[in-house]
Amino acid sequence: MNGYAGKILRINLTTQEVSTLNTADYEPWGGGHGIGSAIFWDLVPYKNISGFDPGNVITIMTSPLTGTMAIGAGARTEVQGIGVQSYPFEWFTRSGLGGRFGPMLKYAGWDGVVIEGKASAPVWVDIRDQAVQIRDAASLWGKDTQETQEIIWQEIGGQNGYGDWLSVGPEETGRRSTQRPAILCIGPAGENLCRVASIIHDAGNGSGQGGFGAVWGSKHLKAISVIGTGTITVADPKALIEARIWAMENFMFALEDYDTSKAMWATMPSNLRSFPLPLVTWTRSKQSRPQACMGCQAGCRSRFDPARGNESSCKESYYYTPSWLVKDYAPSGDEPDPQILAADLAQKYGINVAELETGILYLRDLNKLGVLGPGKQIDCDLPFNRLGHSEFIERLIEMITYRKGVGDDMADGFTRAAARWGRLEEDQKTGMLNNCYWGLAMHYDPRGSLEWGYGSILGDRDINEHSFCPLYMIPTMAAQKPLSAEAFVKLFSDRMPPFQNDPLMLDYSDDNMYSEHICKLVAWHRYYTRFWIHSALFCDFQFPDFFNWAAQGYRGITGEGEPKFFNAVTGKNISYAEGIEIGRKIWNLDHAIWTLQGRHRNDVRFADYIYDTPNDFAFTMPVYKNGQWQYEPVGRRLIDREQFEAFKTRYYELEGWDSESGWPTRSTLEALGLSRVADELESNGNLGAE
Amino acid sequence: MEITDKIKTEGRSISRRDFLKASGILVIGVGFGNCAIINPIPAAKGYLLVDTKKCQGCLTCMLACSLVHEGFESLSLARIQVVQNPFANFPSDVNIAQCRQCVKPDCLAACPVGALYIDRKHGNVRTVNAEKCIGCKSCIAACPFPPVRPVWNFLEGHAQKCDLCAEARFWDKRGGPGGMQACVSVCPMKAIQFTATVPVQTGDAGYNVNLRDESWGLLGYTTE
Repeated sequence: MNGYAGKILRINLTTQEVSTLNTADYEPWGGGHGIGSAIFWDLVPYKNISGFDPGNVITIMTSPLTGTMAIGAGARTEVQGIGVQSYPFEWFTRSGLGGRFGPMLKYAGWDGVVIEGKASAPVWVDIRDQAVQIRDAASLWGKDTQETQEIIWQEIGGQNGYGDWLSVGPEETGRRSTQRPAILCIGPAGENLCRVASIIHDAGNGSGQGGFGAVWGSKHLKAISVIGTGTITVADPKALIEARIWAMENFMFALEDYDTSKAMWATMPSNLRSFPLPLVTWTRSKQSRPQACMGCQAGCRSRFDPARGNESSCKESYYYTPSWLVKDYAPSGDEPDPQILAADLAQKYGINVAELETGILYLRDLNKLGVLGPGKQIDCDLPFNRLGHSEFIERLIEMITYRKGVGDDMADGFTRAAARWGRLEEDQKTGMLNNCYWGLAMHYDPRGSLEWGYGSILGDRDINEHSFCPLYMIPTMAAQKPLSAEAFVKLFSDRMPPFQNDPLMLDYSDDNMYSEHICKLVAWHRYYTRFWIHSALFCDFQFPDFFNWAAQGYRGITGEGEPKFFNAVTGKNISYAEGIEIGRKIWNLDHAIWTLQGRHRNDVRFADYIYDTPNDFAFTMPVYKNGQWQYEPVGRRLIDREQFEAFKTRYYELEGWDSESGWPTRSTLEALGLSRVADELESNGNLGAE
Repeated sequence: MEITDKIKTEGRSISRRDFLKASGILVIGVGFGNCAIINPIPAAKGYLLVDTKKCQGCLTCMLACSLVHEGFESLSLARIQVVQNPFANFPSDVNIAQCRQCVKPDCLAACPVGALYIDRKHGNVRTVNAEKCIGCKSCIAACPFPPVRPVWNFLEGHAQKCDLCAEARFWDKRGGPGGMQACVSVCPMKAIQFTATVPVQTGDAGYNVNLRDESWGLLGYTTE
């Protein structure tokens, strides 16, 4: 099994039993998410349980590319299980993270970890190659994520610490490593079952969406540590290194060519050519380096001197931007940069920053309305006169983490808090609470970024998949468009099998936004990401690489690159399109799980403000009008309820699902080799009508 | 007698001992006056320089090293090691340990069977004949630079070390001095560089150098 370790570690925290699953049994699913969903299906007989139920199973999976030098695919880890963050349903969900945990797990000889049950007292899991111990975590409980990792490092590294070779396992085996163990852990927020709690690794890698930190807390699982000294077999080593060099020479940035005129496009989501720059919005010190996940060619984070904000990126860096929160913000001279402090606090306490970002704006607006504050209808002692400063964010995170005062409500997410405060209906009507799909924070607006919004509501979470961001970022921001709208669309649509002959998939116009073409766009996106991003575990920030500034004709690596690396490592011979077809199978399995959790098409709807409150933001996007492709501002519009229902019907029909209920049908599942899934749906009364 | 003569060169003060090292002559003997030059060792014709301030900690060099030499991916068998601490201050958060191809290689001197040898066919790189190695780990114990540069191959029971890719069986490129090195080729930051010039042997300054140019500064990172 080239690329695979061959075994998956199975840990039952209730019985303290450690056993294994054979990866070969799940290999047809590819890796990562596909394998995770299949294991979840097999091990969770009752799928409509709460995420806090000890019967919930958490899978932590790698891919055959994890720990290899496949470009953009060496480091990711996929976490799945029933989450506790979405509302009103606790969906079976996913959240990935980078860093080096997945690779280290592979080097230890494991393709993944499956966590079942609930420990009677706090524990951590100590993996040193094949030796696995469930250990007492009493002394770790209450510690933040940095303290936790440093204590475990000290425990494993011993007095000599790190900097030289350390024996791993019995001395006589000769197995050694210079590396610190890679650790996933929760902070106090997870321990206190905050539904917005993350799992954190190193300084700045997090599995945030889904509230898996709280699920771990409910299982009394504080940390999983792994140090591995083993190997990952590669089917064709020469092909792998040549592919890497080919990718570098044809699609990567040229470091020596960087100049400030390229700054605007130095980094861009879903682009292999991004330069090694941290996605931070604070003023960064020159005394820093780019910092990358394992095997990545372009670090998107930094480490600094002093070590504040290390490895934070994107939302962590800007969720608490003072100038966005307060118009007349004036920094206090002697306080640390509040943005950097906020990033570090979220990492240390283990809180999902997407939730904090919209939550803080919501709190600010409720305070302005006069309904939330000291002595107000919603009694809250946050220091709003210090919004944007350190004191506010320190106090807010303390309230949420330790469930103090109304922090007890916020700890369950701001949608649930709004419901408890009797404000959910009103604030979702106006959009003051900017959580539009499954009670989760809006990221890209469904009214403009159709594939993002529709994909999120047809799934389980804010998809956070940037595949088409270049399609709307470049026309919006580029003073001179690099390509005509027609050529630009073709660059994408040509590589969207099995729908590649339909460029109207990328017509974002008002007239097309509910069409069968957009159904194909959404479906393609779900399939592509389910396999190539979530299962083969190419990084979303780099793949799909449709448009690439460095490539000939701007034609990025996508289509050619993914299978080239996958096949070099595994020795398989799957095509790009075949990977997408496996993605369709995974998407169907996930949809079957949601169906068993109680989903009906009537539940699939956005928060009311998406239909009722006009949006004032637009991207410039490709549209097809009067027989011609052109660029046009898109997004200042509403989604029409009836039209969206019609879209759903078309979408379900495209998928071969029952358009009345939205449930999968036997014929579709059987055609995908999922007969037993159909059987279980049928026995539960959830099989769609043909 | 102790060698204390100082020779001024390029503004640096180096000892006569260093000079002799750099000239590539291994001197074995306690006293200078009566020492015998018994085994002249030619200097390697190639060295790896690194810039730890430019490294992004991706470990791609380690992955490439094990891939082209062993045919699989392994951190523990990589002949270049990058050690880092996510919570530490820049620049002390990263250390790169590449083999120095020492002018006076203690590892070679320690090998009791001549398995660690000068590969004259490949530019005098110091390398290990795995078939000859008896697994005593003397070379590993002798290397004075932590983390030590000879690597213990626990799968096959022998030592191994950087050969500048002279014998990289899983790569269709000519390696060794004058050829290509996998770690240099794949480092996305260009933080590893090959040189044919003998680096200053004392301390780290000769091997850990500044490879940052103006474009690095334009990216917002220090060039000092």
